[in-house]
Amino acid sequence: MKIQHSWLMDFIGASLSVEDLVAKLTRLGFNIEGIKKTGAAFSGVVVGRILAIEKHPNADKLSLCGVGDGTTVMKVVCGAKNIAVGQKILFARVGAVLAEGTLKKARIRGVESEGMICSAEELGLEGYDNSGILVLPENTQLGVDAASLFAKPDCVLEVEITPNLAYCLSHYALARELCAFYNLPFKQPAVPELPGSGDIRVPIKIEDPGLCGRYTAVVVENVSAAKTPEWLAGRLRAMGSNPKNNILIDVSNYVMYELGQPTHCFDLAKLAGPEIIVRPAKAGEILKSLDNQDLKLDGTMLVIADKDKPLALAGVIGGMDSAVSDTTKAVLIESASFNPSAVRLSSRKAGVKTESSYRFERGTDPELTVLAARRMAQIILEAAPGAKVIQVTDNYPSKYAPKVIEVRPERINSILGAEISEKEIFACLKAIQPELVGDKPWRFSAPSYRRDIDSVWDIAEEVARYIGYDVIPARSNMPVMRASATPSYEVTRELKNRLACLGFSEVYNYDFISLRDFRNCLLNEENAVPLKNPLSTDFQFMRTAMVAGALKTLKFNLNRGRSSVSVFEVGNIFRKTDKGHSEETMCAGLMYGAFPGEESWRGGSAMADFYHLKGVLNYIFSGYGGFRFEKAKNPPAYFHPGVVLEMKLGNLQAGHLGMLNPKAAMNSDLKDNQIYYFELPLKALVAAYKPEFWARLPQVKAVSAFPNTWRDLSVVMDDKFEWAEIEKEISKAPDLSAVKLIDVYKGHSVGENLKSVTIRFNFSSMEKTLTDIEINAHIAAILAKLGLNFNAKLRS
Amino acid sequence: MTPEDWKAKLSLTRDSFLSALIKTDAAGLADFETKYLGRKGELTLLLRDLKDFLIEDRKVLGALGNALKTELSAALDARKTETGAGAVNLEKIQFDLTLAGYPFPRGGLHPLTIVADKMYDGFQKLGFSIAEGPLIEEDYFNFEALNFAPDHPARDMQDTFYVDLKDARGKDLLLRTHTSPVQIRTLKNQAPPVRVVSAGRVFRSEAVDASHSFAFHQMEGFYVDKNVSMADLKWTLEAFMKDLFGSSAKISFSPSFFPFVEPGAQVAVSCVFCKSSGAACPVCKGTGWIELLGAGVVHPNVIKACGYDPEKWSGFAFGAGIERFAMLLYGISDMRMLYENDLRILKQL
Repeated sequence: MKIQHSWLMDFIGASLSVEDLVAKLTRLGFNIEGIKKTGAAFSGVVVGRILAIEKHPNADKLSLCGVGDGTTVMKVVCGAKNIAVGQKILFARVGAVLAEGTLKKARIRGVESEGMICSAEELGLEGYDNSGILVLPENTQLGVDAASLFAKPDCVLEVEITPNLAYCLSHYALARELCAFYNLPFKQPAVPELPGSGDIRVPIKIEDPGLCGRYTAVVVENVSAAKTPEWLAGRLRAMGSNPKNNILIDVSNYVMYELGQPTHCFDLAKLAGPEIIVRPAKAGEILKSLDNQDLKLDGTMLVIADKDKPLALAGVIGGMDSAVSDTTKAVLIESASFNPSAVRLSSRKAGVKTESSYRFERGTDPELTVLAARRMAQIILEAAPGAKVIQVTDNYPSKYAPKVIEVRPERINSILGAEISEKEIFACLKAIQPELVGDKPWRFSAPSYRRDIDSVWDIAEEVARYIGYDVIPARSNMPVMRASATPSYEVTRELKNRLACLGFSEVYNYDFISLRDFRNCLLNEENAVPLKNPLSTDFQFMRTAMVAGALKTLKFNLNRGRSSVSVFEVGNIFRKTDKGHSEETMCAGLMYGAFPGEESWRGGSAMADFYHLKGVLNYIFSGYGGFRFEKAKNPPAYFHPGVVLEMKLGNLQAGHLGMLNPKAAMNSDLKDNQIYYFELPLKALVAAYKPEFWARLPQVKAVSAFPNTWRDLSVVMDDKFEWAEIEKEISKAPDLSAVKLIDVYKGHSVGENLKSVTIRFNFSSMEKTLTDIEINAHIAAILAKLGLNFNAKLRS
Repeated sequence: MTPEDWKAKLSLTRDSFLSALIKTDAAGLADFETKYLGRKGELTLLLRDLKDFLIEDRKVLGALGNALKTELSAALDARKTETGAGAVNLEKIQFDLTLAGYPFPRGGLHPLTIVADKMYDGFQKLGFSIAEGPLIEEDYFNFEALNFAPDHPARDMQDTFYVDLKDARGKDLLLRTHTSPVQIRTLKNQAPPVRVVSAGRVFRSEAVDASHSFAFHQMEGFYVDKNVSMADLKWTLEAFMKDLFGSSAKISFSPSFFPFVEPGAQVAVSCVFCKSSGAACPVCKGTGWIELLGAGVVHPNVIKACGYDPEKWSGFAFGAGIERFAMLLYGISDMRMLYENDLRILKQL
């Protein structure tokens, strides 16, 4: 909300500088979002005339002007192009205070200048051409103080009003708040009583007092074509509102900004009959609004109607058909109190938000309607001297009944944790409700504009605001409590740390993806959860897989000059299910390019391949019993069908790893398809996670005290045999402590469809040193087994 | 040659070795070593002569010879050290020590993870347990139970994304706009005293710019027990801030509004970045304070919604934007940087 300093001061009987005002408002919880100075905030500037112009002796672009102010003539250096002899101009003398500071005597390129010819910008004036100096009209009086020619210096504050402070949505109300909380004299506006003829020309009928609690109406006749006075137009401009130079239109806005009560003026001649009805709209009714939209109405919306048709959407917007204009002769001024929820619902359904609906939604003061109506009439009567009030009616079917809250000072202190004296607490309550009496328990009843105060907690906040939040100490005797973490947090933290150790950088992608992302990743959106109000089609669905984000991250970084990318993300995926929807946390990682990634002077960084990724996952899952890789039964489509494995933790599915489907890479405009990717559901790790620290630890196995001996065995066998089956056969040999594949070779020297594998066997015994004879026997047995099962022959 | 002759030769070798050694300078030591101990050195040849003796003599003489060899080697080493000859040899090994070490894989956690973890750690020290909640949330948990009445304008403060799904009450499901629903979910499942902290992603339908994002992260903390006050809240937050910004950090409360707390407070921490240098500080803009959290006493309506009597049970709650902390701590000026996943940035951390 915009607040003009001078306007606010209409209601405060003390002087308050802008700085002081800002500090006081901030302390009460009003955020100041902007401060704009307006008007003539300068001094020492007079109206002068250019009497002569010469070229500056040392500068092509400067002139030397003789400037007179009626008494003396001064030499002034000027750089503007639009100067001419005879012009009346704004002349700043040495010592003048301008927007940028105080003007000093200066030598400019060797010539002394006795002042400055000003542009509007240099004086901080808005709304003028700033391409050169400001040229004044010829009839301006020479030598007068230039500040007198412009609006007085003022200031407009942009004040944030949170919903709990909505009772301060006007100059009047904000001043009232400041006066109450800082004990300043509050000046009620001087608004005369209205004569009120008693003649009811337009009866008012309220169908549902729950929706319209009060309706004050004033009928004024003979208002023809009254213009808006400049002082009022100026204030509207300061509010960012564009005055229409018709007082009947402008006065409503003015009174709303001043008092906070939205009002409306109907052109009486345009009513179908002399009656105003406040009623729910009928289904199918249409209102042409003031901003020229056809609003379709229904029974949940409240309207102001004549006997035939709706005239206005109550509290939201008026209708074109009953709008005031330059030809309006008589008006009905509406100053009413509408139910906040009803106005909010109407506004939302009609899709129309106005300053009026904004205030009604937040609750207006029912006791304010009469004052606002009188203020409306006062301004109209001043602008249209022949005008006459012929009707004042005030229908007030649901009277404001304040809620009484019993306040005990110790309760206030127990909420705040402070030790505020009874006297101070009472002073605060009294500031808000001046009639409060001192007998305990204090029975506080909130004024009609403070219906936000509903409980002792609300009062505790008022007390803290009144005294200052610093009254709350930082002190506690909270009991100690045992802090625990969830398994998913523990698992995630460990997982992330392990991946980071292996060279993966953690990334954060959005949860929203586009239809195109689904297509690119060979997915369909069947199970996807769509957003009802997406920001754009790029962010239309909740992701059902992490892969789109991984590919985007890869592409983003390749486009920025990286040649290798290892990234991971932990995030949620969302799917529609038979029962509604599912939300699951996943960890996904992608590896591409050289590994470990950086070039070294020694050369030789390997390209990441499937086995790198497999090694990564072995490390990730180390310590989890029952981890294994299996053939993927039904892998997601974005994996290469021939290069994908499934992971298992015991009986649980623990995700997939593999090469990304080259089609997905191609769809994402990636030239190379050697992209390796894994994803795993966190719930598998969580299920396998043991929350007790001791239970997670492996039990240490004793190691042999006797020497360890190793033998390498190179055999040739058919290429079709997989390592896993070979390993299974030979790993049970006696005294074998480890078996490792250390070389696989295929080539001419081995023969077609054959491979040579070199296996390293480590032997050790817990009881003794193994002899050559014993080990040779073991090796012979293994070789025999290899021969039997795989037709393997010792490589010659 | 008799064993006695051999012994005499050995003795002569020792004498000439030791007397010549002290006269040899650093430059001559390599030749000296060759002369006596080299493959064709005097002592080496002498030891080789042992093969012609009887086995029992060989044993005795061999032991003597080897002992002398050890003695002379030690004397030579001592002389090398004394003359500085050892240093000459070390200098001959030429390493370019300015070459980079071999690259080890270097990954890292996202700044938001690092900051959230640090915040978790800070609150865990104060007895806060970790809780979690879903991102697709019900209107009831996100708004209604948190004292946002169905038609309350406070709902306008948080532009909400809705998804095309309905909850059991027939209302559109939404993406949580804050982490506060975790308060309700926790309190409905767990009787007080409860002291919990929860971090995670939240969503608001806002255009993205340097200080806004439609997806961002919050951390929520709350404590419900008997006799919990605003002073407990202030102490807790001050203790947490000291953990993050040092023991001189102070906090300040000023009035603010969140529907689920009453009284509500804006929380600022004293600026550690400017060391009170004043107007020049770009972080606090010379105010000396940095606004970092929203907080307050849990609203009685929230306690009621969770099934407890607000006259008996009370609590405090606070919430912070993790991005705000991360940007402050890492000196990041544009929030978009946190979601671009630019490895040139992430590899710096």
